[in-house]
This record gives sequence, structure tokens and C-alpha cells, in this order.
Amino acid sequence: MTEHSSEHTHGWETSPWPLPLAAGILFLLPLPFSFHFVYKNSLMAMLSLGLGVPMVIISVAGWTRESLEDKYGWASGYIVGAMPFFIIAEAFIFIAFLAAYWVIKLSAGVWPPPGTPEFPVLIPIIMTIILVSSSITIHIGEGKLEEGDKEGFIKWLGLTILLGTVFLCFTAFEWSHFIHEGFLIGTNAKGTVFYSITGFHASHVFVGLAIFLCILLPAIAGKVSKPFVQAGSIYWHFVDIVWFFVVSQVYFW
Amino acid sequence: MSAHVKSGFKEWIFTTDHKRIGILYLVGSITAFCLSGIMAVLIRLELWSLGPTITDDPTTYNVWLYMHGAVMILGFQIPALTGWFANYLAPLQIGAKDVAFPRLNAFSLWLFWAGVVLALLTFVVPDPPDVMWTGYPPYSVVTSGNTALYSFTVLVMGFSSIAGGINLIATIIFMRAPGMAWGKLNMFIWTVLAAFTIQLIFVPVLGSAVTMVLFDKYLGATFFNPGMGGDVLIYQNLFWFYSHPAVYVILLPGIGMIFEIVATFSRNRIFNFKVAVYGGVGVLVLITGEVWVHHLYTSGLADWLRVFQMVTTLMISVPVGILMISLVGTLRGGAIDYKTPMLYGVGFIFVFLVGGLTGIPLAMASLDLAVHDTHFVVAHFHFVMAVSMTFAIMGGTYYLFPKMSGRMYSETLGRTGFWLFLIGVFVTFGTMFFVGLDGMPRRYYDYQMFPQLENLHKVQTIGTMIIGLAVITILISWIHGLVAGEKAPSNPWGSRSLEWDTTSPPGPGNFGGRSIVVPDDWDPYCYDKPGRTL
Amino acid sequence: MKKIFMALTAAFMLHTASAKSVFANEGRKAGAIADPAEGWSRLFHEVLVDVTIMGVIFAAITIYYMLKYKRKSPDQVGSCKKLSAAQMWGWALIPAFVFMADDFFLAANTWSLWNIYRKPPAGSYEIEVRAEMWSWNFIYPGGAAAVNELRVPAGKPIALRMTSSDVVHSLYLSDFKVKEDCMPGRVTYYWFYPKVPGEHVLTCTEYCGAMHSGMYGKVIVMPQEEFDNWLKKETKA
Ligand code: HEA
Ligand code: HEA
Ligand code: CUA
Ligand SMILES: [Cu+2]
Repeated sequence: MTEHSSEHTHGWETSPWPLPLAAGILFLLPLPFSFHFVYKNSLMAMLSLGLGVPMVIISVAGWTRESLEDKYGWASGYIVGAMPFFIIAEAFIFIAFLAAYWVIKLSAGVWPPPGTPEFPVLIPIIMTIILVSSSITIHIGEGKLEEGDKEGFIKWLGLTILLGTVFLCFTAFEWSHFIHEGFLIGTNAKGTVFYSITGFHASHVFVGLAIFLCILLPAIAGKVSKPFVQAGSIYWHFVDIVWFFVVSQVYFW
Repeated sequence: MSAHVKSGFKEWIFTTDHKRIGILYLVGSITAFCLSGIMAVLIRLELWSLGPTITDDPTTYNVWLYMHGAVMILGFQIPALTGWFANYLAPLQIGAKDVAFPRLNAFSLWLFWAGVVLALLTFVVPDPPDVMWTGYPPYSVVTSGNTALYSFTVLVMGFSSIAGGINLIATIIFMRAPGMAWGKLNMFIWTVLAAFTIQLIFVPVLGSAVTMVLFDKYLGATFFNPGMGGDVLIYQNLFWFYSHPAVYVILLPGIGMIFEIVATFSRNRIFNFKVAVYGGVGVLVLITGEVWVHHLYTSGLADWLRVFQMVTTLMISVPVGILMISLVGTLRGGAIDYKTPMLYGVGFIFVFLVGGLTGIPLAMASLDLAVHDTHFVVAHFHFVMAVSMTFAIMGGTYYLFPKMSGRMYSETLGRTGFWLFLIGVFVTFGTMFFVGLDGMPRRYYDYQMFPQLENLHKVQTIGTMIIGLAVITILISWIHGLVAGEKAPSNPWGSRSLEWDTTSPPGPGNFGGRSIVVPDDWDPYCYDKPGRTL
Repeated sequence: MKKIFMALTAAFMLHTASAKSVFANEGRKAGAIADPAEGWSRLFHEVLVDVTIMGVIFAAITIYYMLKYKRKSPDQVGSCKKLSAAQMWGWALIPAFVFMADDFFLAANTWSLWNIYRKPPAGSYEIEVRAEMWSWNFIYPGGAAAVNELRVPAGKPIALRMTSSDVVHSLYLSDFKVKEDCMPGRVTYYWFYPKVPGEHVLTCTEYCGAMHSGMYGKVIVMPQEEFDNWLKKETKA
């Protein structure tokens, strides 16, 4: 890092993106949620989303572009080292939800509580296979990048994104199937646990896909940051591992 | 700072420089402190006399109290200690140019401000949240107040501090200057590292808990609905599983800052440094996650669990006691200069003893049965948190004032503020112990059933006015220092620590383009080696 | 410093020895019932003495150092040296030992009191409590009911079984030093021992909404006979 020392005394470093991103998140989640669910004002909720979604997308794009330039000369280097800390934090979200689930289940008289439909066996297995394969494809993709084969990397990364999307479609299919059977989040404790835990997992898959898009699009334009790819892939493996817990606890226990 | 460095409005709001981010955290957290302090004043005015005093709507009082508790903890102390101090000091003390992820740092800052905005919405939305800072369901689920605002405030602030935590942990691990071995780190760095480790593990649990409340209230989930197979105690356990460690997230950087101040103004080595780090800070991190049930002694949890966690809670006095020995021991053989920061430094020892030692009867399960959720508990945590940690924040801000602003504050104003503060808190919170022992429950808009306590309540309200005066004096001393203070030298206190080894204020890149290489015979408290600088 | 420390240890040991008998005189004669409220007051007093000793020792040393080691010339520096390994271990283990001894001493005493608290004596008079926003319902054996006024006979241990029909409340009898939460979907219990007739305050100590502070009432301790009459009248009605 010392070789950069002189160029950093020129002026105060700035980046326009963090501020709109934070503001965008405010418009994306807390405000529309409150408008819709608390004050029953869907118009304001839509307006807020209309502001929040572009703000978040634009600032994420701007941020990604800026970080590929790596003007600080060090930031991307630490991202792989920092990822495990993020993963610890993420893991505890799932631990908390699973702990709530265990307490509810172990103190319940009958389980699953009345009103719970039959849970499918085949679909979760297919979903598991899809997610595990996507972990493998991103691993292969990383290998290609290591060899310097950018074309191959893009292909395997694209395949990973595809598998992830298919996985999300399966979750959506499962949900709509259950909802049609009248099994809702409020039906009973099992519904609560099922929708919140699979929902949280799906949102992590979604974030993982977003990260991959932030890698794929610049990669197509020819810009790749290896540490960024590595960090994204660590995250993806984590999402995969969490799925084992989700599927074994929620579907098969 | 060289004059040609461009520094307009844009360089502030888009800044990714850790020092400026730290200062913006300071501005935010002091704003939050004043706002929720004014809520405290309103609370105290309402409790001035029996019956309705300044409002006749209990819900108004409850909203004030919600605001006061939630914002003091989430908006004032955690950001001041882990945002302002850690951001400003940590990179300077380890000889780094900035943090590991400067943009992420700015993002945490603005998320924190987004949280402040959400907290401020309490004043404008219809049906503001009235769930107290603990937000226990089923009340938080059945209330007509806006619980969503509570949950999102917690989530946004929580996410901000996770991002900040990852950032600073990575900074401390990866960006230490060449030669800055682990053994040469400041006490403050260790406490920050510990505090952020705790944050990373426990904040997500709190986030999950408030998310469950959100799901229960607005999406019809049944986590806490016993009629549908849920359990109300899940929330309480998850909440305290975070919120007990949270008090050590506050305590650790606070006491770390006090260590820096005491070492600097005694020009002394920290007494038994290694033991304080391993046996104090380290052990505290290890046991902080096994004591949460001491907030639930009256909740009907299994007896064995309550008694087991009583023992672990009492054991916390061991690492904290070891830290206190090091703190007091640092004075020994010192050359103590009682400037304003040092007044806060030694004042901390006394107020923390009062608060910490009254934690002992609370920790004893069977004694807590009678004082739980009374003003005795309120007095305990105001002494440890609202007083001790505010001492750390005020003292630390005075300590860093010359460094961050390049100007000196007025000692007279600084000292006046300190003494007013000290008197005010003893009058206010000292009296509170007795009110609590007489049975006065917390979160009471009115105390019809205890008419004999009216006079003691009046004393507390008067004490609050003294604290208010103290806060005003402190604010004036800062503003006065900013506009009219004399120019500060780079090392006004004669400290050996690295953050003083650069201009006041430090420019971009921190050390004026100098590459820091730490020699073998240097450490941040090497006062016994005359003239040793880098 | 060593001397100070020895003094600390000695003071602590003395204190421990003198306090050993918080419950020794609990008078375990056959049939005698230990009153939690009395045990509470005694133990609380004990602990107050204990922590005051701790606090005074720390505060006194601090003040002594503060006065003794004032800076005398502008460039004077401190003289605290790094400790040798033996000193280091000593300053870690001895305080840890002393603090832990104190902790276990306190824990053991709490434990005995806790057992008294948690085990209603045989033959307690049992009353059901149902809390709701924002009142207390007391249901007596035989079906008599009362709101916000808990009438109990003097001289008999009273056990309460508590639940709530909406949110969490907590029934606090400050004069009897007892409290436990009342929750929907769970039953909690405690007992207390009113000895002489009189009136006491009962309050709600878990935040339960707007009228949390209005959710208070009275414990009315009546002579047994009076109580029986009252109960008979209420049961008929
Ligand atoms: C910075 C914040 C902070 C800190 C540091 C502490 C420190 C401690 N707290 Fe406190 N506490 C709070 C903030 C804090 N607390 C808050 C906010 C609440 C209320 C939350 C709410 O309900 O809203 C609370 C509530 C609370 C309760 C629950 C009470 C109730 O609701 O009924 C308990 C019970 O055990 C407790 C115990 C302790 C203990 C044992 C310590 C120990 O860490 C103290 C250790 C320190 C010392 C003991 C003094 C120094 C040591 C020595 C001199 C060594 C020798 C001493 C001995 C051997 C005894 N605290
Ligand atoms: C770090 C945290 C922190 C801090 C600093 C404080 C500071 C203060 N707190 Fe509080 N407090 C809490 C954390 C904190 N508190 C928490 C967590 C709760 C529990 C909430 C719950 O139950 O959910 C609580 C609850 C609480 C209660 C209990 C109410 C009840 O249970 O019914 C009371 C009552 O007296 C109180 C008082 C005060 C006072 C007088 C101050 C003073 O120190 C404040 C000093 C500040 C100012 C005075 C403002 C700044 C001054 C100005 C802007 C100038 C203008 C003012 C004047 C001229 C007067 N607080
Ligand atoms: Cu019922 Cu508070
Ligand atoms: Cu605690």
C-alpha cells in the first residue's frame, strides 16, 4: 500500500454513491412497507418504490463501476478477507430463525399443527440439486478465470445465474402452490416458520444473483476484479450451505 | 492540512475519508443525544408531580419514553462509540491511511443517518410507536402504534453497524502499518475489535427478532401468538441475547477511550496491559453471550436456566474488575494533569463503580425479583450507561477536540460543564435508587399509588435541569472552541500514541504522505523512553 | 500496592466470615415457614455491605493516587514499568480469585433464598390471577372473584397462579418483595406470606400500553374470620 502514498495527499476522497444508496434503501423498504401495511396507502407506497428502486439500482451500478477502478489501491484486496465476517453475521440471522423454530416445534403438542398440508419430497430434492450444481458451476467459473479464460468464465457465471434463477422460480412455485391450498403464513406456526425461513433464504439467493450480475455485466465489457469474484462466490457457497439447514429442518424434520 | 486541499460542501457529504465520516457520526449522535435528552426532560417534567403534569395523555408519555430509550442507545451511544471514536481513531492509531472499505464506511454513516430520520419520523407520523425500546410482543403486535417504524429503525441502524464493524475489523487486521505488531496496539483498538466482534454475532439476532415482530403484526405470522402455537418468550430471549451484549458494545469502546485518556494524562503505561486485554476484554467477549437471562428473572423461564445465568452474570464482575484494577493502577506513579478530558477520565471510575456495583444485587436472581422493572434498574443503567458512557463520550470528544478541529477548547468552560454534569447525575440518578427500592415501577406515566414519592421525584427533575445546564455548557464550550479557540499544536497533551503524531487536523491520507514504519522499541505508551517519537 | 491488596483480601475474608450466616438463623424448626420478604431484606442488606466495601476500596485507592501523583513539572512522565511475568500473573489470578470467591458466596446465598421463593409451602392458599388490559382478576377457590383488590387471610402463605389473556403483565407486590410476569399461553406462580392485617400496593411492572400505570390495586390482608365471611358472601353472589 505504501507505493500509493503520494497520490493520496492531493485532496479529500469522495464518492457520490453511498449517500444515494442509503437514501434509496430508505425509500425501498421502510417507507413503502409503512405506507402499505400501516397506513394502507398503496399509492404512496408505489411512489416511494418508484423513487427507491432506481436510486438503489443506479447507485449500485455507479458503486460497482467505481470499485472496479479501485482508486484507493487497496479496497478490493481485502474483500476476500472481510467476507467471512459478513458471513458470520448472516449466519446468525438464520440461527435466530431456526432457534425460534426449534423452540416452537419442541414445545408443541402436535407437530405439524392442524391445517398443514402434505409437504412435497421431490421438489426440495430437485431444488437442492440445482443449488449444489450452481455452487459447482461458479467454482468452475472461478477456475476458468484463474486460467485467464474470460470467455469460459462468463459462460459458467451465466450458467450459475441461470441455475439460481431457476431455483428462485421453484421457490415461487412452491409458495404459490401452498397459497392455493390455503396454507398461509398465518395458518399456523408451521406456516409462519416455513414462509419466513424459506423467504429469508430466497432473499439471500436474490442478493447473490444481484452480486453476480454486478460481476457479469462489467465482465462482458471486459472488466473483472478477481477478489470481487472470489468474494461473490464465497457468499454463494454460504447460501448453498444454509439451504441444507433450511431444507433439512423445514421440509424433512 | 495544506491550504490548497479542496474542501467544499461536496467534499463533506460525499466524503469517504474516515476522519470526516467520524465527525459526521459525531454530529449525528450529538443531535440524537440532544433530541432524546429533551425527551428525558419532558419525561422528568411529567413525573414532577402526581397526576397529569404536562400532558394528560399517557400514550404521549410512552412515545417520549420510546424515543428516549431507543434513540439514546441506537442513535447516540452506539454510533458515538463505534462510529465516531472508532472511525476517527482506529486508522490513525494503527498508522493506516484510511479504512479498508472507504465507500462502505460512508454507506454505514448514511444508513445511520437514515436511521436517525426514521427515528425523527416518530414526531410526525400518526400513531407513533409506543413499544418502548424493548418492543416486547404481544403488546408490540396488538398496539395501534406504528411498530414498523420501531423495527425498521432497529434494522437500519443494525445493518449500519454490521457494515461498519466488518469494515473496521478488516481495517485493524489488514491495514496496520509495517511494524505495528499485535502487541503494539492501543487499548482502544482492542476494545473496538472486541465490540465489533460482539456486534457481528449478536446484531443479526436482534434484527431477526424485530423482523419476527414485523411479520407477526403486519403479515399475520404467529411467532408470538400462543393461540396458534407461538411463544411470547421467544422474542424476549432473542432480544436480550442481543441487548445484553449490546451494553458491552457500549462499555468496551467507552472504557477503551477512558484508558487512552488516563494513560495520556498520567503519562503512564497502562497497568498490567496484557492481562487487561486477555483477562478483561477477552473474557468479557467470551461470557457476554451467556448472561442474557438476567433480564428475564421474573419471566417464568425454567428455574435452572435462571440460576445458571445468575452465576455467569455475577462472574462478569471478574473481567470488569480486572479492567478497573488496570484503570486505577494506571494512575499509580503517574504524572497526572487534570485537564477536562482527565476529569471525565477519573470521574468515570467513580460513577462506573456506583453503576456496576448496583448491577450485583440485580444479578442475584432472588433479589432482582423485587427490583426488576422498577426505577432501581433505571438508576443502575443510567449510572453505567447514561452517565459512565456519556462521560467516556464527552471526555473522548474533549480529548480529540484539538486533533479533529485544529483548535483548543476553553478549559474553564470544559471544567464547569464537567462539575455541573457530575452534580446533576448524582442528584438525578442517585435519588432514583431510593424511589426504585420503594417500589416505583418503570414506564409509569403517573404514580398515584405512591404519593409519598412525590418529593423524591421533584429532586430528580431538578437534577435533570442541572444536567441540562451541563450539556448546554459543554455544547457552548465546543462551539466556542471551534470559532474562537487558539490554534492547536499537533500534540497538545504530549501523548506517545500514533494519532498525535500528525498535524491537527490530519489531512487526506492521515500522515501527510509519510509512510509509517513502526520501530521495535516503540509502543503507544512508551513514556519511559524519553523523546521517543516516530 | 501489595499491602493494599492484602488489606483488600483481609477485609473481604472478614466480611465473608461474618456474613456466612445469612440464613443460618432461618430457624428451621419443624413447621416454621421462611418468609421470602424477610429473607430478601436481610440478603439485600448483606449485598449492600458487600458491594460498598468493594466500592470504597476502589474509590479510596483512586482518590489516594489522584492526590499523590499530580504532575509537578510540565515534562514529568510516569514511572509505571512493564510488570514481570510473576507480577502479571499475580495481578491476574489473585483479584480473579477474590472476585470469584465473592461471586460464589453471593450466588450461594441467592440460591438458598431462591429456593424459598420458588417452593410454595405445603398448605398454601391458592388464588388464580388473570391479567388483562388493564385490570387484575383474582379468582378464588370456590369461584369467588375480585377485580384489582386481592383479599387474603393473614397468617397463611398465599400462592398465586397467574396468566394473562392479552399481553405480558407482571404482578408486583412491592411490600412482599415478589413479582412474576403474567403471559398469555403460559402459567407462572409465586407465593408470599402476609402476616398481619393491613393494606399494600399492587402494581403492574411489565409495560402493557397506555394504562400500564393505571393497572394498580390493593392487597388487603384480613383476619382469617373476616376473610372467611367475605369469601362466603362473594361465593354466593
Ligand atoms: C453500558 C451499559 C451497561 C453495563 C456496563 C452494565 C453492567 C452490568 N449490568 Fe446492567 N443494564 C444495562 C446496562 C448496562 N449494564 C441496561 C441498559 C439495563 C436495562 C435494560 C432495560 O431493561 O431496559 C441493565 C439491566 C441490568 C439487569 C436487569 C435488571 C432487571 O431488569 O431486573 C441486570 C441483572 O443482572 C444487570 C446487571 C449488570 C451487571 C452485573 C453488570 C456488570 O457488567 C457490572 C460489572 C462491574 C462491576 C461489578 C464494578 C467494578 C468491579 C469491581 C469493583 C470488582 C469487584 C466487584 C465484585 C466482585 C462484585 N443490568
Ligand atoms: C445512553 C442512554 C441514556 C441516556 C444518556 C439517558 C439520559 C437521561 N435519562 Fe434515560 N433512559 C435510557 C437511556 C438513557 N437515558 C433508557 C434505555 C431508558 C429506558 C427506556 C424504556 O423504558 O424503554 C431510559 C429511561 C429513563 C427514565 C425512566 C422513565 C420511566 O421508566 O418511566 C427516566 C426518568 O427519569 C430517564 C431520565 C433520563 C435523564 C434525566 C437523562 C439525562 O442524562 C439527559 C440529559 C440530556 C439533556 C438534558 C438534553 C440536552 C440538553 C439540551 C438540548 C439543552 C436543553 C435542556 C434543558 C435546559 C433542560 N431515562
Ligand atoms: Cu399491565 Cu403493565
Ligand atoms: Cu444485561
